[in-house]
Parts: sequence; C-alpha cells; structure tokens
Amino acid sequence: MSLVSADKMTVTIRIERKHPLAIRWMHWVNFPVLFTMIWSGILIYWNDSDNAYRHPHAIYRIGIGKVTLLRLFPEWVYRQMNVPYHVTEGLGYHFFFMWIFALNGIAYVIFLVLSGEWRFLVPERRSLRDAIQVTLVDLHLRKGLPEQIKYNGAQRIAYSSVILMGVGILVTGLAIYKPTQLHWLTSLLGGYEMARWLHFWITMSFLAFFMVHVGQVVLAGWNNFRAMVSGREIQSANDPSIELARRSWK
Amino acid sequence: MSEQDPVPMEDQKPASDSTPAELAPSTTSETEADKRDPAPSVSTVAKAEPAIDPIALEAVIETRVEEPDVIDGVQVKAANEAVLAESREHTRRAFVLAAAGAVAGYGFYRWIDQSPGVAMQLRPLRRAFQANAAIARAVFRDRALAPTYSLKEAKDLRVNGVYGLKKMLVPESWRLQLVGVQDAARHPQFTSDVTVWEYRYVDTASHEDQGHDTKIDPNARTAEKMAPMPMMDQATVEENRAERMPRGKEEAGESYSTLMPQTPGLLLTMDDLLKLPRHELVTQFKCIEGWSEIVHWAGVRMADFLEAYPPAFIDGREPKYVYMETPDGDYYTGYDLNVCRHPQTLLVTEMMGAPLTQYHGAPLRLHMPTKYGYKQIKRIGLISYTNRKPDDYWTKLGYDWYAGL
Repeated sequence: MSLVSADKMTVTIRIERKHPLAIRWMHWVNFPVLFTMIWSGILIYWNDSDNAYRHPHAIYRIGIGKVTLLRLFPEWVYRQMNVPYHVTEGLGYHFFFMWIFALNGIAYVIFLVLSGEWRFLVPERRSLRDAIQVTLVDLHLRKGLPEQIKYNGAQRIAYSSVILMGVGILVTGLAIYKPTQLHWLTSLLGGYEMARWLHFWITMSFLAFFMVHVGQVVLAGWNNFRAMVSGREIQSANDPSIELARRSWK
Repeated sequence: MSEQDPVPMEDQKPASDSTPAELAPSTTSETEADKRDPAPSVSTVAKAEPAIDPIALEAVIETRVEEPDVIDGVQVKAANEAVLAESREHTRRAFVLAAAGAVAGYGFYRWIDQSPGVAMQLRPLRRAFQANAAIARAVFRDRALAPTYSLKEAKDLRVNGVYGLKKMLVPESWRLQLVGVQDAARHPQFTSDVTVWEYRYVDTASHEDQGHDTKIDPNARTAEKMAPMPMMDQATVEENRAERMPRGKEEAGESYSTLMPQTPGLLLTMDDLLKLPRHELVTQFKCIEGWSEIVHWAGVRMADFLEAYPPAFIDGREPKYVYMETPDGDYYTGYDLNVCRHPQTLLVTEMMGAPLTQYHGAPLRLHMPTKYGYKQIKRIGLISYTNRKPDDYWTKLGYDWYAGL
C-alpha cells in the first residue's frame, strides 16, 4: 500500500481529546478510595445494625408504614462479606481514607471550575428531556439518540448528581464525626440520628450509581472506556468536536 | 443514562496488522483533523473493498452515511488507518502508565495492610487517628457546648459494657483515690499510700440487667467482640499464655498507668464530692457502636472538682492529662486535662432522677458529651493527674485514644 500524506486524504474519523489528565487521575483515585470508604463504613455500621438488644433501627430498612420488607443488612449478607467483628479495622481505614476521598473530591470540583470542564457536566435546559430519550433508547423502546458533545443529558444529570452526593456524604460524615464541636451542622441536618441516616442512604446511592455506571460503561464499549484511561476517543469526523467546544469557551 | 458512543473501537483489529510506524508518520494530530472537512458519506465504496479494518470502518460508515459520494475508498481507509495507528500507539503508552499507577496503588494498600499493629490498630491507621486528634484539638479546642434537650426527651440509658462492675461494691467501702493534687498533705483526706485502701464487694448477684456489649454472649472474651481479625489470634495467644493479673482482668489487661504501691494522695468520700455545686444536664450519649440516647444526668462538674482539688504543677506547669480507673483496675481511661475542664464534663451520681445503679457505675461515673461512651468510665475509683499520656482500655484494643466528638 502506498503511503499518501495524511492531510491530502479525507478521513472519516479523528482522535478526540475527551478526558483531561486531571479528571482521569481523580476518577481512578476515587474508584478504590470510595470502595474503601464504603467497605470500611459497612464494617462500622454492622456494629449497630442488628445487635443483641434488637435496638430498633427502624430507619435502616425498606418498608411502608409498619411493614418492613428488608432490614439492612440481613445476617447472611454480613457473613458473605466477612463483615462481623471488624469494627476497629473499619474505623482505622475510614478515618484514614476520608482525607484522600475529601481532598480528591475537592480537587476535582476545583479543576472542573477552573478548566471550564463543568460546562460539559452541568445539566442544561434540554438535559432532562434528553435523559428521558436516552433512557428509552437504552431500553430499546425508542430510536435516535439526541445530539451531544461530551455527555448526553442522562450523563450530565448523573455525573452532576454524584458530585452533589459527594458533597452530601462529606457534610453528613462531618456532622457524625464531630457532632459536638459542629453541633450546628448536625442540628441543621436534623440531628445526629438523621445525619447517620442520610450518610447511610447517600452511601446506598453511591452503590446504585456504581452499578448503573459500570453497566453503562460495559455497554458503551472499549472506545468509551479507553478514553477514561488514555484520554482519547476515536470519533467520527462528523461528530461535534469536544476540543472545538473547549476552544469556544476562551 | 447512557455512555454509548456510535463510534467503534479500532483495536478490534487483529494485532498482526501493520504497525503504526509503517502506516502513520504521525503527522495527523487531532487538531489537524478538526480543520479538515468532515467526510461525506463513503459507504458504497468502502463496503466494496473491505481491506484494512472492515469491522471498525463499517460501523463508522453505517452510523454516518447520508448520501453516497465519490471518494477513493482506499485513500479513506488509509487515512483512517493512520489515525487508528496513532491512537493505538497512544493507547499503549497510556495503559502502561495506568498499569504502573494501579500497581503503585495496590502497593500503597499492601503497605498499610501489612504494617505492624500498634495497640491492635495497623500503624499507619493508628498514626492517622493521632493526626486526626491533633487536627481536631487545634481546630476545635474541645470548646463547643453540646446541645441540651428537654427532660421529656430523656430515657433510660442502655447498659453496655460491665468491665470493672461485675461484682457489687459495698457502698460504704467506696473512696475516690485522688493522686497528683496540689498541696496534698494539707488536705485532711491525705494518706501516704492510697493503694492500700480496700474496696469490699458483695457476693450476691444483682437483680439488675447487666446488658450486653454487642452481638455476642456477654461472657465471651472481648477480643472476640471488638478486635480486628488479623490481631485476634495474637491476642488470644497472649490471653491464654498470660497469668491472670491481680488487676486488669479483662481483655485489655492491666493498665500501665495503674498506681504503684506507696503512692500518696487523697481518699475522698461521697460527702466530700457532694459539697461541690450540683448540676443537671440533659445531653445525648453517643456510643461508637453507632447508637445514641438522650439521658438526664446529675452530679458535680469536673471543672468545679478541679477548682477544689487542683493538680500539682509538674516542672512549673499543669500536667496535661487525667487518668481514671475502676476500683479493681479492670477498666481505665485517659483524657486531656482541658477536656475535663469542659463545663459539660460531669462526675455523675444520678441518672434519670435516681441514684446510679451498679451497672451504670454507682456510686460515681463520668459523662462528657465531647467524647464517645467508651471514655465515660463507670464506677470511678481513681482520678490521677499526670503528665504521661495515660493508658486507655479500648485504645489498647484498636480504638482511638482521643475519641473526641
């Protein structure tokens, strides 16, 4: 095959700089750190979840009125995950990795703001409509994905929500960690028990996000996944350019 | 939510294909690609000759095509292949770096997990406890007042933890040993050796519910309840080897802060304590297990006690710490002196409007809303002012010494 100078040819694809280096680093640091926080959190939470007193933690359950469908977590779940009697291990890891989690998250938000990348992430007016359409397409109920640059409407909503969840988990965590010194914060959240409840359910939301996120990444395929490692994605030349959008901010 | 992208991956191509060097002199950067006209449709041509990357290219084309146009299919594919080759090279480098990062991350985790234990807590994590305490002391200075509640909200506290309380103390035999007090010899309660004071116990079983610790038989050894797994075997071996100590008969063993024989000090009676102003408090008691209860307390403020029996200066300064212990030395706790001066730190004699019961620490226990419950020692037998960081029961079993809320 003869080599022809590239710019004389018509290409139908291009390499797009999708994720900046900082975002990739913070994303992948966050992955094991968030895992450690959830795991160690469960080790701590176990200690009060179902003790000999049958302390009625009615709030850590799924149910309607007085009918409880599920108490979190059933004994077999704890046994399967080797949770029982690792409280101090949980405390040790939780109060070490909280710093990495918090600093990484704060750095991420600062980077989004300073780099302008937040423009790709914050939902727009059309995002909700797009998100519904995207979901229906995902469920094979409808055809035709709406136009997007970096993220579609569903992604914008999901990734912005997960940042808010990060803020929420830090604030509720702080309220539980220092309920006397920061009692104003604890009171603002509805008291100590309420702050614990929020902390728990935000954690469950992180787990739910994680499941959907990983599922979608698997479905989206290699090109999309690779971009979170290498930063680059192969795009069709017809697609709106992420890089052009970045340049338009300046 | 979708992360779908209509563009296919180029790496599905067999690895035996041309190397990047052959194909792309790497003049194609993504910025140049931007400037170029977007390709019109090429489907018919491309499909006619699937030479280089049929899978990838076909997918591109299928998603893109609007109207067929005349372009040299070979050129298009060659051009695309140049882009793909550049991408492959970049991907390779990125994944090598990513793998190195993953290995470094795993190494960091192993470094923590394989560290030796310090008081049943992995050393880096123990250090983190200490660093967190230093930050909390510097930022908050333990000054904030905990919220108080109305009497209506208060309820009986659960009994949780009976170390040092298992035998019923004869009330008349109770004295508060006080060590390290200023001008001790000038007090009428002075004695040259407080350790010879004999606490007496009743053999009869109490009718009071002695509670549980957590989820396990109250008679099980503490290590089985609270200690982290990796350290449990070690603890069990030590527990089996060690002779039972005369003091410190529970899992954490004898305190290194316990008094040496012939320690001079005061032996205070309940009457001495009750001369101090009585204070009531309705605050939330928080257990590190996670539960909390609002409780009505009454007793004397530790701050007033420290006024009445101030610590002797050591090297021209106040000692930094306060140490407390049950009469049998089975349970013990340590505090910063300034936390004891907190206006809500109470030497408690009554709970919920009634005198303390055996398993709630009669005749004297501590309440401090600035600390978790495991610092709120029941049945205080000794208070000692000291400059040496005191031993602490649960700290030895992996918990944080500071435990500040």
